[in-house]
Amino acid sequence: MHTKLLSKFAGAALAAAVSALSLSATVTAASASSEPTYTIAYEGPLSGGNAQLGLNMKFAVQLAINQANAGTTFGHLPFKLAFLAADDQGSATQSPTAAQQVIGNSSVMALVGPAFSGATKAAEPLYAQAKLATVSPSATAPELAQHGWKNFFRVVADDNAQGPADATFAVKQLKAKKIYSIDDGSAYAQGLATAFDAAAKKLGASVTHATALGTTQCQAGTGNVQQYSAVATSIISSHAPVTFYAGYYCDFALLAKSLRSAGYKGILMSDDGSLDPHYVSEAGAKVANGTYISCACADLSKNAAAAPFAKQFRALAHFPVGTYSAESYDATNVIISVMKKLGVKGISRANIVNALHHVTYKGLTKVVKFQANGNIAGTAVYIYHVVNGKIVELGLAP
Amino acid sequence: MCFTENFMQYLVNGLANGFLYALIALGYTLVYGVLQLINFAHSEVFMSGGFAGYFVLQAVVGRQPHGLMSVLMIVLGIVAGACGGGLIAFLLERVAYRPLRRRKAPKLAFLISAIGASYFLFNLAGKEFGRTSLSVPYIFNGTNSGIAFTFLGAQVQTMYLIWAAAAIVLLVSLDRVVAKTKLGQGIRAVAEDAETASLMGVNIDRVISQAFVLGGLLGGAAGFLYALNFGVVYTMGFTPALKAFTAAVLGGIGNLRGAMLGGLVLGVAESLPLSCVNFNWQDVIAFGILIVVLLFRPMGLLGERLGRSA
Repeated sequence: MHTKLLSKFAGAALAAAVSALSLSATVTAASASSEPTYTIAYEGPLSGGNAQLGLNMKFAVQLAINQANAGTTFGHLPFKLAFLAADDQGSATQSPTAAQQVIGNSSVMALVGPAFSGATKAAEPLYAQAKLATVSPSATAPELAQHGWKNFFRVVADDNAQGPADATFAVKQLKAKKIYSIDDGSAYAQGLATAFDAAAKKLGASVTHATALGTTQCQAGTGNVQQYSAVATSIISSHAPVTFYAGYYCDFALLAKSLRSAGYKGILMSDDGSLDPHYVSEAGAKVANGTYISCACADLSKNAAAAPFAKQFRALAHFPVGTYSAESYDATNVIISVMKKLGVKGISRANIVNALHHVTYKGLTKVVKFQANGNIAGTAVYIYHVVNGKIVELGLAP
Repeated sequence: MCFTENFMQYLVNGLANGFLYALIALGYTLVYGVLQLINFAHSEVFMSGGFAGYFVLQAVVGRQPHGLMSVLMIVLGIVAGACGGGLIAFLLERVAYRPLRRRKAPKLAFLISAIGASYFLFNLAGKEFGRTSLSVPYIFNGTNSGIAFTFLGAQVQTMYLIWAAAAIVLLVSLDRVVAKTKLGQGIRAVAEDAETASLMGVNIDRVISQAFVLGGLLGGAAGFLYALNFGVVYTMGFTPALKAFTAAVLGGIGNLRGAMLGGLVLGVAESLPLSCVNFNWQDVIAFGILIVVLLFRPMGLLGERLGRSA
């Protein structure tokens, strides 16, 4: 029996062990060189049911740091960079503990992440107090930009861009007059689903909305997997031709399986949290085929400039680039570009925050430039489609 | 609208889940019967069954099997799951319970020992087999899903039929084993009065071990049946086992038929009200019913069978 309280302790112990390991790594790097060493941290899910999303990001951050140290991306830097990974399991309850580990390490100058919106909401007050810049490659909940956190930045468009784009696609392209929309109860999914529902109604569709909590099976909440047979029954009896799921791939795969095995014939659609090949492998290609997935991220394989990145990522991570890998790479490089400009004398947590407000950096995915509230300037949303067990990009959402 | 729309569908969904709860619940009840202890590591026995079935099928299934081959594969998976569950349950008793019993440890020590074993097992599984959910190979219907037939407006999935068939066979066999065999006599004797049973020449250690293994066989088989639909992952045991524990208490803990009935009642109680209300109410209503039932029948539906502890 794992009780919630006990799992908290286990999580904290694990995080402590991880940070102890990373700390010792930092120290050896510093003693090997006379130049000062600064650390760039990453916070996201490195264990748990949605760990793959975190691993996609972690290795990209590590790659950017390795390249900067080798002098390939920014030329010779007057300092060395170290890397620290903090595992928050994607959970809002674990996130503050992970944040404390990062903040407590005085060599950490900036952070890539947190990865998930709920975790970001929970940890950001701590980061804001420590004046530590956080550049998230993936947290898309709109409200995150509305708290007045000066240190908050993100390199993806928020759900106020994604939700309406998804709704427009469902109503205009898929011609859905009736939509069943589900969220998993997380901060991210609820924000996205709210934006989606409002936009779909405005376009004339009728929307039924329900919350199916993320499951313990996926470590994405307290829900019970068996709920999906009931969810499927409700959806089928609503006769909605399109089901929109706001949440992450692990639970979306379980829902998709339940829907198909209960005989649902409608179209499935989900968000960037489901943009992962694991969705297809967990649901099975037969179930997953035909699913539409949206993301404020473009498909890297179509981008020639990104080819070397994809190759080096694979060599480091031993798996191909995934969702938000390129965004994480860009987020890390934006931070490094700012540090280079500030120079050894100018580098401090607070100065990096200020400099990020004025940065313009051409990354792999887009030109990174932040609005005053930390949101990225520009709002491109792409639609993907599962065909023959592969997720392919269809292009920009209408 | 209420209770009429999709009534049959919810009943079928509920019964299907209920059969799984019943299989897991028997593990709690068997151990409680002989030891008056709740084996909180039973969730990991269930998980071990899921993984054992997964690995065996992964090794033998090449191309998608059809017809009789599919049935054989399902039986093989259930047997593998049962063996995995039985083995872990056996080891659990040896490592986490028997030494404490020898030293006449207080009840609380058993509880903590079980929680420790549970943590050890699921973290080990997470470390060894990865943190992401793995799908059991497809062994029927293309995707281990699909509808077998429609009955009074309810769509009965092939998966549900497999769950029901396997559960009924296993539950009836267990009932016969406990009622008719020498092994069952021993378990009943120890449950009734452990001291007298030992004076009559019953080897208590062996009976306790057998009760663990029997519960583990069923729990492991349930783990595989569950995995067939939902996949295997190291955290898979948590909620189903919690629900099954509830079912065991609902039916009257220590009472074998009570555990079976409790599982089915809990499954249906979770599901039926959903034809009236949103599925977010599922657990609220199910556990509301549990509290009401226990208020009127504190010993559970069929009553608790209590003896003196071994």
